Amino acid sequence: MINPEFRRNLWLSFSMHRLIAMPALLGLVFLTAAFYGSASSARNLYSTATVLFTLIVCLWGSINANSAIIEELRDKTWDQQCMSALDPWTMTWGKLFGATSFNWYGGAICLVVLALSGITANRSDWLLDLLNLIAIGILLHATVIALNLHTARFETNLIRRGGMGWIVIVFAYLLFQTLAFPFLISSSSVLWWGMTIGSQKVFMLGSALLFMVCAIFAAWRLMSNALQVRTLPWAWPLFVLILSAYYAGFSSKTPFSFVGFFIAAALSYATLLTESNSLLIWNKLRLRWQAKNWRGFLADLPLWPTTLLLAFLFAPMADFTSRAGDGATMLFAMALLLLRDACIILFFSFAPNARRPVVVAVLYIIVLDFLLPFLFKSLGLQAIAYFLNPGSRMFFSETYGSDRVDLLIAGIHAAVALGFVAWRIHESKRREAGPQPGIAA
Amino acid sequence: MAAMIRISRLTFNYPGLRALDDVSLEVEAGSVTALVGPNGAGKTTLLRCIAGLETPLAGSIEVAGMDVIEQPRAVHRRMGYLSDFFGLYQELTVARCLEYAAASQGLPDAAIAQAIRDTAQRLHLSDRLAQTSGSLSRGLRQRVAIGQAIIHQPMVLLLDEPASGLDPEARSELAILFRQLQASGMTLLVSSHILAELDEYSTHLLALRDGRVLENRALQTIASADEVRILHLQLAAPDARLPDWLSGQAGVICKAVESDFAEIGFHGGANAQAALLAALVQTGFAVIRFAEHQENLQQSYLRSVAAHLEKTQ
Repeated sequence: MINPEFRRNLWLSFSMHRLIAMPALLGLVFLTAAFYGSASSARNLYSTATVLFTLIVCLWGSINANSAIIEELRDKTWDQQCMSALDPWTMTWGKLFGATSFNWYGGAICLVVLALSGITANRSDWLLDLLNLIAIGILLHATVIALNLHTARFETNLIRRGGMGWIVIVFAYLLFQTLAFPFLISSSSVLWWGMTIGSQKVFMLGSALLFMVCAIFAAWRLMSNALQVRTLPWAWPLFVLILSAYYAGFSSKTPFSFVGFFIAAALSYATLLTESNSLLIWNKLRLRWQAKNWRGFLADLPLWPTTLLLAFLFAPMADFTSRAGDGATMLFAMALLLLRDACIILFFSFAPNARRPVVVAVLYIIVLDFLLPFLFKSLGLQAIAYFLNPGSRMFFSETYGSDRVDLLIAGIHAAVALGFVAWRIHESKRREAGPQPGIAA
Repeated sequence: MAAMIRISRLTFNYPGLRALDDVSLEVEAGSVTALVGPNGAGKTTLLRCIAGLETPLAGSIEVAGMDVIEQPRAVHRRMGYLSDFFGLYQELTVARCLEYAAASQGLPDAAIAQAIRDTAQRLHLSDRLAQTSGSLSRGLRQRVAIGQAIIHQPMVLLLDEPASGLDPEARSELAILFRQLQASGMTLLVSSHILAELDEYSTHLLALRDGRVLENRALQTIASADEVRILHLQLAAPDARLPDWLSGQAGVICKAVESDFAEIGFHGGANAQAALLAALVQTGFAVIRFAEHQENLQQSYLRSVAAHLEKTQ
């Protein structure tokens, strides 16, 4: 039995006209490329096939993958999908390859031309290029689906504006810069975790495959949540570890914990800014905790606390000394500032009738971290600037302060921010104890 | 009868709002329950929680003995849901819309063609199968959406405002369909603002107000001998003797009595009612109507609201 979701997408994507038009148009382009210029036909065809694949699969395909979730939500068919008996994996691959099936149809023609021209031109790397293009195409499509599923849970405005596809499309464009012209990539070796990998293209293929698997896995996990199949939050911190291990492999000088800390912090911010942090969610967590429903607690837990915890775990492991001081103390201070920022976002998210709490919180963080310190620094009040942003010493090598003072100031920031959150929770409890505010449909 | 839907202490919050407040209720298997209440009563939220589309803050929901929160996908195989603002795949034909619904609900390939034929016939869509759903009228689109929800013969069907936007003829057809579905053993929970329409097919009333259950009961029951029923008596012409005569009869509680009309509470079965009628005629009253008064859904609902308001004031 064919996957119903895949079949539905085939119905929508293909018509007799489209079936004929795609090979006809591609044939014309390849014919023009074969007879154009002084370079050999095979070389022209090879580059043309690569460019066309990137345009058809990576760019246009990403737009279609974006529509796979956005259109369901916009056209109000998502409830029907959620009410179906299809399991998350069937739904994921049905959308991943169904919504982009027409792009893969065109892409497959490009790949045949790429393979034939590569063989004709005696290229040794045509298979690597071919596999790389396929992996990147799937990686982009799975990423855009995962991003939209992640934001669809609470960012309805974003969905109305067309979802998160633009991020992947920009990403695809950047990839296009390198992958569309394979001859620009040198064939020099890559040193990774002390291993010498003979060809950069082999390494790129390995990387693309690794991230393709991660993206498909993410899309499946998020689809599970969308279909009310609850998951526990282990995959997101695992991804941080994989990403840290991947990037730490490029430098023998930078410790794994240092890379891991910054990746955990960056992804904490990414999730903090894109997840819902309403008081409702935290009240639900409180109830789960009180009922000792640990599975329910973990299933409802937002993702950012998991990576924030990882950041705190990485910090004391940072066994290095930089010009700004002891690594572990520095990273621990930064982790405390991350906690402070999380609390600022929670503080605004917990406000009654909160409107755009994340935007407001980011604005206050920018004022606190950059605008005010620069203002006080300009006025010659460097101590106040340092107190407002202890990070300024870490990055600008100021003459005063120390690792421990950094840590102390960051601790004060975090404690004050935690206090504000506690006050907000107290206020909400006080309001709840009063008359009911109203009833919703 | 056994409960098909069992809800216990269900609480659901929206930011700053409590949509469902400690709701506990049961829906009888094989019933058609009218879910009524003013705007903002929590009807849609309740239906979405039962459908497993929303996770409540607290409480439990069982459908056909299965926990909706723990096993939503398994429950979906036994459930159909038509949302208030449903959508259809505009570019697909009606046949393909139904085929997708059937396949995605796990019907085997061999059974799909027959299921499409049966559903189309039931909903009078047989001659529309080749049309794209985007080209259909509102009423026909509604029928396609209902077809998608019932094609897998669910045990429970949840419908949120299924008749909104339909013309009177289409509403009447919908009522016939719901009665047929009930006769085939399906349990229906139907929310609507139009109480007159629910009157045509509902067996039970579930009234919500301010996120709480106001009333949950069967609408029509066969009266037993020891039950008080409301009777309406109409005379051809005014007769001043009527109030005194009625107040002297055993088993009669006068509620509103005038010289030519009376609404009475009557304690007794069908034989006692026949005896009272015979006595009225023998006394010389020109009786032109003497029948049990069936309260319609709207009256029943308004009575519940009035009782609730009286209690809370």
